Amino acid sequence: MVKDIDIREEKQKEPAVSPTPTPAKIEKETNQNVISNDSVIEFRNVGKSYPGGVNALIDLTFSIKMGEFLSLVGPSGAGKSTLIKLLICEEKPTSGSIYVAGRDITRLKKKELPFYRRKVGVIFQDFKLLPKKTVFENVAFALEVSDIPDSEIQQKVPQIVELVGLTSRIKAFTEELSGGEKQRVSIARALVHNPKLLIADEPTGNLDPVTTWEIIDLLFKINQQGTIVMLATHDKEVVDTLNRRVVTVKEGRLVSDQAKGKYVL
Amino acid sequence: MFTAIRRIIITAIRSLWRNRWLSLAAVLMMILTLFTISFFAGLLVVTNKTTESLREKVDISVYFSESTPKEQIFSLQNILLTRSDIKSVEYVSKEQALEIWRERNKDNEKIRNVISESDNPLPRSLDIKTEKPENLENIYNFLTKSDYQNQFKEISYRKNKDLIDKLVRITYFVKLVGWIVSALFAIVSILIVYNTIRLALFSRSSEIEIMRLVGASDLYVQGPFLIEGISYGIMASIVTSVIFYLAFKVTFERSVGYLGVNIDPSSLGLNLWFILAGQLVVSLVLGAFSSILAVKKYIR
Repeated sequence: MVKDIDIREEKQKEPAVSPTPTPAKIEKETNQNVISNDSVIEFRNVGKSYPGGVNALIDLTFSIKMGEFLSLVGPSGAGKSTLIKLLICEEKPTSGSIYVAGRDITRLKKKELPFYRRKVGVIFQDFKLLPKKTVFENVAFALEVSDIPDSEIQQKVPQIVELVGLTSRIKAFTEELSGGEKQRVSIARALVHNPKLLIADEPTGNLDPVTTWEIIDLLFKINQQGTIVMLATHDKEVVDTLNRRVVTVKEGRLVSDQAKGKYVL
Repeated sequence: MFTAIRRIIITAIRSLWRNRWLSLAAVLMMILTLFTISFFAGLLVVTNKTTESLREKVDISVYFSESTPKEQIFSLQNILLTRSDIKSVEYVSKEQALEIWRERNKDNEKIRNVISESDNPLPRSLDIKTEKPENLENIYNFLTKSDYQNQFKEISYRKNKDLIDKLVRITYFVKLVGWIVSALFAIVSILIVYNTIRLALFSRSSEIEIMRLVGASDLYVQGPFLIEGISYGIMASIVTSVIFYLAFKVTFERSVGYLGVNIDPSSLGLNLWFILAGQLVVSLVLGAFSSILAVKKYIR
């Protein structure tokens, strides 16, 4: 009954989707349209405008490879949030297409959306937890609404909670937790379906510096286990210290894409 | 699938409890609606049955003199039977008349024994039933002007026509008012259930947002609201059925006594169950329809 979109499988079925592969260029600083053979996620000439003539994104083209840790930076209103909304299919672009594992997600049917979303974990600045539920229940919630049997939930949730280091707080209500702990819960919930992509939308925006690093460290660990992490942030220190790929958007356009980047604006 | 249904129902019950005062208002409104519909349906059944049973009564009885030969009576019967406005013509012999007499006075021995087989003054008669009460006068006129008229001892002519006419008008009125009032109540209760579900949706909007983020299927997101709407219907129909069953029994017995007509209770019993089942169907449709409307509007 459960139909899954497995990103790896589909990638094998449809390998070369992209034209003009220029792998050499990726390592250099570039803001050219680079699409490589092993990209899992591809934005192709994506544009998004809202009614009233606001252009949130303009002709955006870039790709993400398997196992990447990518920082998405830019000032407020640059289009980061719009980009994320498009990637989790909350909105559809007005032009262009977004390929995930060879599949154009802008053409997903309404019925396919839930299955796609289970393969993409998202965490937010405001955590989006259910305050009247415990840590366990919050994580279990994601499984409950996805037709997972109780026995599997009982087995899986403690594992994930352990991964984010909250085992001792598993029975606590989320409203009793600190900001860092809340974010860990939301990470646990995002990971519970074993997503191939974890999107973090300003995950440390509400956190103090120490806690921020704990969360970034956790995201790093998750990335090391093979999950693509896309970190949208405007925390300069975090981005500079990470020394990973940085994609910068400004006024809806991609202005720089550095393989080992700094926060430049 | 079973797990899904269980979880959806639990969510629905929780939401229902969280909005219990609004839910109560929705259920009360539905009860009112169902009661209105059932009341008019019940009234229609009673008036229809009463009219029918009045029509069943003998309209004209022609009593013959002792001297009238049997053949004459039968030939009149045949003539009457050829008329299209006559439903039936039944010959009642002296013996049958006696039996009816005895039956009618079974509780009063004195009167019953006034007449015996050997001394039977009861006349023979033809009992005529008309197709429509409107034809009564025509038939009456025909009889009084016929060649047989000097054979008649008496013609009894029941004036049921006016009563039946009145009942037909009442039935029509009941039907008309019933439809209008029922429709109004149905619309109001749809609006109220719709609004209740809408508020339940708003109070759970963050939960719904999270559900979508973690990949809940539409069934999980929308199912509980549908169940909530339907359960208003079920609760309302249970309450109404109980009230209505009792009310119907009491008023029916009274009205039968008042109208003085004999109604076969078994045929009405069937109608009562039909009404109760109808209530359930109507309330389910109302509940489901309003919640689908709200869900489709407010959940993308």
